[in-house]
Amino acid sequence: MKFLARLVSLVLLLGAGAAQSAPRALIAANSHIDFSVKEMGVSVSGRFGHFDASIDLDPAKPEIAHAAITVDVASLSTGDRDADAIAVDKPWLAKLEFPKASFTSSAIKALGDNRYEVKGALTIRGKTHDITLPLTTSPQADGGLVASGSFTIRRSDYAIGGGEWNEGGVVADEVAVSFVLALGPAT
Amino acid sequence: MTTHSDGYSAPAKLGHWLIALLLIASYSIAWTMVDLRMSPTRLRLFNYHKWVGVTIFALAVLRLLWRLLQRPPPLPAAMPPWERQAAAIVHRLLYLLLFALPLSGWLMSSAKGFQTVYFGRWPIPDAIGKNAALGAALTSVHVALTWLLLALVATHVLAALKHQFVDRDAVLRRMLPRLPRRHSSEPS
Repeated sequence: MKFLARLVSLVLLLGAGAAQSAPRALIAANSHIDFSVKEMGVSVSGRFGHFDASIDLDPAKPEIAHAAITVDVASLSTGDRDADAIAVDKPWLAKLEFPKASFTSSAIKALGDNRYEVKGALTIRGKTHDITLPLTTSPQADGGLVASGSFTIRRSDYAIGGGEWNEGGVVADEVAVSFVLALGPAT
Repeated sequence: MTTHSDGYSAPAKLGHWLIALLLIASYSIAWTMVDLRMSPTRLRLFNYHKWVGVTIFALAVLRLLWRLLQRPPPLPAAMPPWERQAAAIVHRLLYLLLFALPLSGWLMSSAKGFQTVYFGRWPIPDAIGKNAALGAALTSVHVALTWLLLALVATHVLAALKHQFVDRDAVLRRMLPRLPRRHSSEPS
């Protein structure tokens, strides 16, 4: 009997351990990463259709939370074929040379009220910069989480869209990025 | 000041010739921009074209209001009824297209996901959301209307020239800027 009780507690312990280390499943259909950039005051927006996210976030233990997101650059879509072709072409995101953009968190700080401050390294077009972004989670009935946030990057930091595209102030340097990541329950 | 009952009022003339100039600008920009590859210059010309279009639309609204308030000068008594009817139809269609062309351009821009932002500063709300298929359909409509307007303008110009050089009446002169008066009397 004592052996059985130990076995049960061991299984429970392993289960609890797994809840803290296994990332939550990304529900791709309900997740999206969007961006918008202004040309002469006109906001041109687009979306990345394919990306992977490995997010381990237990609201009770944010200090061990970790997030890694990898975006398929070629999955960009603005709804305009010409704009799409330009956006992934060499001066811009250069999909052939740099097929992936990524973000890896280095520290996640809980601010209370389901809000977090995430620090991490953002890599686009082979260039990496540390960024800080706000993250808000909304717990779902099934134990899942919807994590969302937005931040702004500068094209020039990542050498996105050089040459003629930086002349005459036609295209703004700032690019607004927003994301909604639907995550399954902690496993 | 002498009143010229046989000519259009100054605001009507101003509106007419401003729109004429803006139409020349709009068509010139449009025919240049559509052949350009995607580039900052192309984006710039598209925006200029859209700003000119918004301006034409606003002027057309003002002109229509003015026209409803201020009756145009009468046509020459010698004009046959079919010419009067033809003139009325062409003038109405011209007004209609001065509204329809900018509106179709605005809608096609919205559907294509490029909002119209007047002078890069004042966003004009999108009436419809981004929709590629609708954008392509509205582009066809916009292009068809540009040719229709061009045909109407050609008819309008030819008719004015016919009045001037064939009928030798005062119809064209009604819309021309009044020349500064000489010291003596002016021909009437």
